[in-house]
Amino acid sequence: MSSRIRVLVIGAGTMGTVHSRAYTRLEDAEVVGIVDPFDFNPRLAIDLNVPQYRDLDDVPGSSYDVVDVSVPSRWHLPYVVEALRMKKSVFCEKPLALSLTEAEEMVATAMTNQARISVGHCVRFFPEYVEARSLVQSGALGDIAVVRTFRGGAFPTAWNDWYANRNLSGGTLVDLMIHDFDFVRWVLGPVTRVYAKTTRREMNRIDFSLATLRFASGAIAHLEGTWAHEHFGTRFEFAGSQGILQHDSFQEKPISITRTPEGGVALPQSGDLRSPYDLEIAHFIDAIRHDLPFRVTIEDAYEALRIALAAESSAMTGVSIDLQPTTPARGGVTL
Amino acid sequence: MIRIALLSSAHMHASAYVHGLRALSTVEIIGIFDHDALRGQAFAKEHHLPWSPQLDPLLAQANATIICSENARHRFYVEASASAKLPMLCEKPLATTLDDALHMLEAAQAAKAPLYLALPVRFAPGFAQILEAVHQGQVGRVLAMVGTNHGYLPPGWFLNVKESGGGAIMDHTPHVADLMRLITRSEVDEVFAEIDSRARQANIDDSGILTLEFHNGAFATLDPSWTRTEGFPTWGDVTLEVVGTNGVIEFDPFRPHLNVYRADAPTHRHLGFGENMDDHLIQAYVSALSQTAPHPLLANGLDGLRALEIALAAYRSQASHHSERIQHLL
Repeated sequence: MSSRIRVLVIGAGTMGTVHSRAYTRLEDAEVVGIVDPFDFNPRLAIDLNVPQYRDLDDVPGSSYDVVDVSVPSRWHLPYVVEALRMKKSVFCEKPLALSLTEAEEMVATAMTNQARISVGHCVRFFPEYVEARSLVQSGALGDIAVVRTFRGGAFPTAWNDWYANRNLSGGTLVDLMIHDFDFVRWVLGPVTRVYAKTTRREMNRIDFSLATLRFASGAIAHLEGTWAHEHFGTRFEFAGSQGILQHDSFQEKPISITRTPEGGVALPQSGDLRSPYDLEIAHFIDAIRHDLPFRVTIEDAYEALRIALAAESSAMTGVSIDLQPTTPARGGVTL
Repeated sequence: MIRIALLSSAHMHASAYVHGLRALSTVEIIGIFDHDALRGQAFAKEHHLPWSPQLDPLLAQANATIICSENARHRFYVEASASAKLPMLCEKPLATTLDDALHMLEAAQAAKAPLYLALPVRFAPGFAQILEAVHQGQVGRVLAMVGTNHGYLPPGWFLNVKESGGGAIMDHTPHVADLMRLITRSEVDEVFAEIDSRARQANIDDSGILTLEFHNGAFATLDPSWTRTEGFPTWGDVTLEVVGTNGVIEFDPFRPHLNVYRADAPTHRHLGFGENMDDHLIQAYVSALSQTAPHPLLANGLDGLRALEIALAAYRSQASHHSERIQHLL
């Protein structure tokens, strides 16, 4: 491994761009190439002054150490599997996959090849979520009874309108709410039962879902995911026997720039020098360099996907889904 | 003057209704009866009302009644009012069992005594506009709704299932489920619920999430939990989000408030302002006593039955861990 970790980014859309910028801000990492299978955004490679490739096979295997998979979810599997087989470390955008079969193949490939993989559950790097987990786990709120989360905004617009095709994106339950499925599981532990409702798949660019989770601890969570609102925001509330914790991104903007020529469009920004994405990518690189555990393991991503797919299944069938505890057959291998 | 008898003061809303009645010049509260004489006498003294040690003489003098007893005793007072052929406004929930509810509706109908239900949130500032906006199609077709009705742990008989019929789910399901029925103009076919008693640990259901499926295909969730702790700046909330094909409506009638920070209080408090929904409810009830057509937002016994069906289905779902269908009675 050279002194700087060399990253090959696959996908040049929203997340490929965000991750690439985050790598270039690190002293001990660099982006050495962009694989843009759909030739979607040539600007990214030009701006970074790195070669752009059409396919992973076109890139010399010795020229990079890490693969960042940020193509639309439907295409994660082949890139993740190929990279792991080459024993590269992998950072895969969430959701890990759109089916458990795909996710299990990734887990098995990582095990067989003793290669490391982390997944972009970036919410674990948002400071308000980190603080919330810390407070809840300190016991300051007592036993948690009911959790509520909200996430969403306008329907996303991206390459080929892939978000509008639930077979490609998974829709609000699998693409969007997986953030909160992961978050509440990170805070409260295993989920035992899932019930959910969602708008009909045929709706044109409207996707709205509600899910109720029951935890082994006895806690109940209600999650709202929407691509039917106008402005993106997040909220959560933890109601415990000893107190309540609330977050509302609509009320917590440290900066608001309103420009009159545009008719008063607010541009909310965080004042932090390092975005949660920067923190996420820095942690990933640090964990690889120093062989430290990932904050988000592939098991975490697998479990979040399992909850999301159970919610999808519940929404489609109208019945509640019991989740059995899983013990991933890893043969004692630590990923 | 319309002569109103107050029947029991078990429910804390009794004070609010006395306040609302006193604002009206056409009404006189002729007295209060309470099967719990000590409680009734204390209430009479506090509010400077005549105490009536007997129910029947009070009813004989009255033109109408307001029933604020424990939930399980609503039937007794409704049947008594019906026997006296008096119109009545009954606190929600209508009853604690479907059998009681059906007998109450039957008694009122047989006596031609109108039975209204106290669902004041219908009269909250803004709800009528929301209803109009939805029914004019301003947000398109309603796809989904998200409601909350949080509160403190209430005292006394609310925590005794024999008197209350249940905890948070029985107490806080009716208001917002009722708003959702008005929004969709559809009934709830199916209910799924996760319910528990971990929030306040008072040996009664204090928290839960209900998922409602409406006959017209809309779906909704409702959080009726008593999860507001001491130190929370207000008693709770009523909120309703309506997601339509062309937009979203958010309803939060208790949002208008001032923040009060006192040196002698451990936390800041909300001081609500604006019109009072309980006063509007009482006005609508009193108007209904003298007019042929009641206010369109005044709820009746059937609305109460529908809300009760939803709460009872939620308890069934808690036991079965599956969604429960509602067989609508009447």
